[in-house]
Amino acid sequence: MAPLIEVKNLKYRYPHTKELALNDISFTIERGEFIGIIGANGAGKSTLTQAFMGLVPQFYKGAYGGSVLINGMDASKTPVSTLCKTAGLVFQNPFNQLSGAKDTVYDEIAFGLQNLGICREEMVKRIDDALNLLEISQFRDRNPFDLSGGQMQRVAIASILVMQPDIMILDEPTSQLDPAGTEEVFRAVDRLVKSGKTILMVEQKLETLASYCDKLLLLSKGSLVAFDTPQSVFSRDDLMFFGVQAPSFTRISKALDLKLSDGNYPATLDELVSLKDRLVSPTEVSKNISVQTVDEAPVYSIKQMSFSYLADTPLITGCNLTFDSRSTAIIGQNGAGKTTLVKLLKGLLKPVSGKIYYGDKDIADMTVAMLADEVGYIFQNPDDQIFKSRVLDEVMFGPLNIGMSKEEAKQKSLAALELAGLPDCADTNPYDLELSQRKMVAIASVIAMDTKVIIFDEPTIAQDYEGKERIKSMIRSLSDAGKLVIAILHDMDFVAECFERVIVMAKGKVLADATPSEVFAMPDVLVEARLVLPHVTALCHTLGFEQTYLTVEELLNLYHK
Amino acid sequence: MKSITLYVDNHTYLTGLHPYTKLFYVLTAIAVPLLCGRLWVFGAFIAASILMLISAKLLRKAVPLIIFSFTILITIFLIHGLFYTRNENPLFRIGPLLFYQEGVLYAVRIGLNILNMLLSFATFVLSTKPSDLVEELEKSGFSKRFGYIINSVFQIIPQMTGTMNTIMDAQRSRGMNTEGNLIVRAKAFIPLISPVIMSSLINTRERAVALEVRGFDSKEKKTFLYDRPKKKADITLILFFALLIIIATVWRITLWLP
Repeated sequence: MAPLIEVKNLKYRYPHTKELALNDISFTIERGEFIGIIGANGAGKSTLTQAFMGLVPQFYKGAYGGSVLINGMDASKTPVSTLCKTAGLVFQNPFNQLSGAKDTVYDEIAFGLQNLGICREEMVKRIDDALNLLEISQFRDRNPFDLSGGQMQRVAIASILVMQPDIMILDEPTSQLDPAGTEEVFRAVDRLVKSGKTILMVEQKLETLASYCDKLLLLSKGSLVAFDTPQSVFSRDDLMFFGVQAPSFTRISKALDLKLSDGNYPATLDELVSLKDRLVSPTEVSKNISVQTVDEAPVYSIKQMSFSYLADTPLITGCNLTFDSRSTAIIGQNGAGKTTLVKLLKGLLKPVSGKIYYGDKDIADMTVAMLADEVGYIFQNPDDQIFKSRVLDEVMFGPLNIGMSKEEAKQKSLAALELAGLPDCADTNPYDLELSQRKMVAIASVIAMDTKVIIFDEPTIAQDYEGKERIKSMIRSLSDAGKLVIAILHDMDFVAECFERVIVMAKGKVLADATPSEVFAMPDVLVEARLVLPHVTALCHTLGFEQTYLTVEELLNLYHK
Repeated sequence: MKSITLYVDNHTYLTGLHPYTKLFYVLTAIAVPLLCGRLWVFGAFIAASILMLISAKLLRKAVPLIIFSFTILITIFLIHGLFYTRNENPLFRIGPLLFYQEGVLYAVRIGLNILNMLLSFATFVLSTKPSDLVEELEKSGFSKRFGYIINSVFQIIPQMTGTMNTIMDAQRSRGMNTEGNLIVRAKAFIPLISPVIMSSLINTRERAVALEVRGFDSKEKKTFLYDRPKKKADITLILFFALLIIIATVWRITLWLP
């Protein structure tokens, strides 16, 4: 039988560009396989998913060579409206893939079926099945735009699923979701595989991907580097060269030289644990959890503060917190009140009751403009702020607003761009940059204002390994320069590696406030806040370690002593 | 998400009627008085609309509409009562203002016409979900692109308001002043509007892809999730309205005949 997907010498170049986005790619995929697609930003992952759907070249135009056969159909010539019966595409931003014309989840899911002319009885049956499979029946009469990211993404998957394609293509479907939402999506996808669907999934969460997929397709700069089992791909020594960091389990196994029977290193937690007999238990030294006492005056003190948009639905209740100069991560589910809290700190919202003091001044008496040169806030979506046609002008906008001289603003802006890894982009048009780079422009534009406090709202969205490392080093150097860094994050490994203090929030309340090691040793709190452990910590728990270790380095130190 | 439709889903008989029945009522309520030309017919339909609004528990929602229309009505009354070109017979005097019979009568006619249109339209708009009407129109042969555009407007406007607020916050966070005199506000315009336009363009492109992959361009005949058969009440009412229009038309024609 012919393979379900056959890609032969595929080459593609977007209009008005010189570089090939896809360069001579060939591979085949059989029915029922779960294929993970990985690679750095700009490797061609999304372009490849568009090529499966025929959107490349039919929608995006450009120069196209080679062939993509989807169940025997030529994807470059078969209309997308025909291909979509065989292959379905779900992408990153759940918001933009809803039809935008339906006001209930139920009707939204029906949209594609109506277009394909499916009869009513069949539609009702398929929609009910999809609602159950994705566990979203309880939202059927809600407006899809009122749902949380994870829920919305499952609606998006359901609306593709009902069209009953043999192939489901998912392009970073979990990048905007909290850990619980990510888990929901992966579970749903796993059920699809079991029901016989072929899955292709672009994903940056490699640990999770490795534990679900059969094979990995590694792309770099438009070329196919490897197409093999996760274990074999992650065991490659040149992985970093392609901008991909192996999962923590593989890195640990490599350092301890624990190989599977086929000569590769384990890629998942279970595989690593299966080799535990060969692991010598290290001698655990009791970790000195030194509760850092900071003597300085607090930057912020929040006293009995409550906030709500509507009088009868409180969002934050009775919050008492102080912030000192320690870098602080705020974690919790989507909708836990994290963004609301930082908006209050920035003065964009005013508390309904209670007080927030910045230093010794009551924030209620200060305007957003007065706080601008003290507190910087980087919004999630860079496109909500970029308006200049030159990166440098964009970055200088804030500094000039708060009264810096032109020379000073320029100097600070160039330094901020350097820190953000965009030293050569000062004269570029921001809209010629990739989304991940535009995010860096937005970050630089706030750092250049040289404020005492810097707030990041989910900085890691759309960033690959290199981008995340860059943000980590930015956070460290800002913190070392004596600034208070506050960040909202969904990436627990990032939190574990980068922050001195963690605040856990759920339903508008602070559940825990401690060092990362302490917080990740509180199972009850994590369950209540619907959070997960960093991968290394989860490994240590499974292996029965007494102490909580957060990072690969920390764990390996035990063995190397 | 805040809805921008005026529709109130209160499960009364009026929301239960077929959208076309209500649309036909609007047509009748506008056409019959114009054909007859008698003031009392306007009054009858206004009364009918008000009764319908009361019985469907929608009157409170319609009050702002009525109040708004009164500002226009008063202006019309003043202008024509005082300055209508065919004014001859004085009617009454308020202080220095002398109102004429012809002008007042003309103003009453226009006023009743406006009020009648507004109220009959209110019975329709307040009790009909826009997407239901659009779906019925598509079933009757309107293109699905047209339907999509109408439906998406109701979703996109509230979304845009949300985006505007976020952008405003983002720029204020970077020290931009949005409050103050005209010059300050004018300077804030570009930083606020450009991201709105750019992000709309980006979103539109993504949404176009989303529609493609959901078979929007498919050549198949579109099917519909809901069946809204015209009930007995719908048919009776439509026949009744049709009869009224026919009677009014016949009456009008007999007037012209010698």
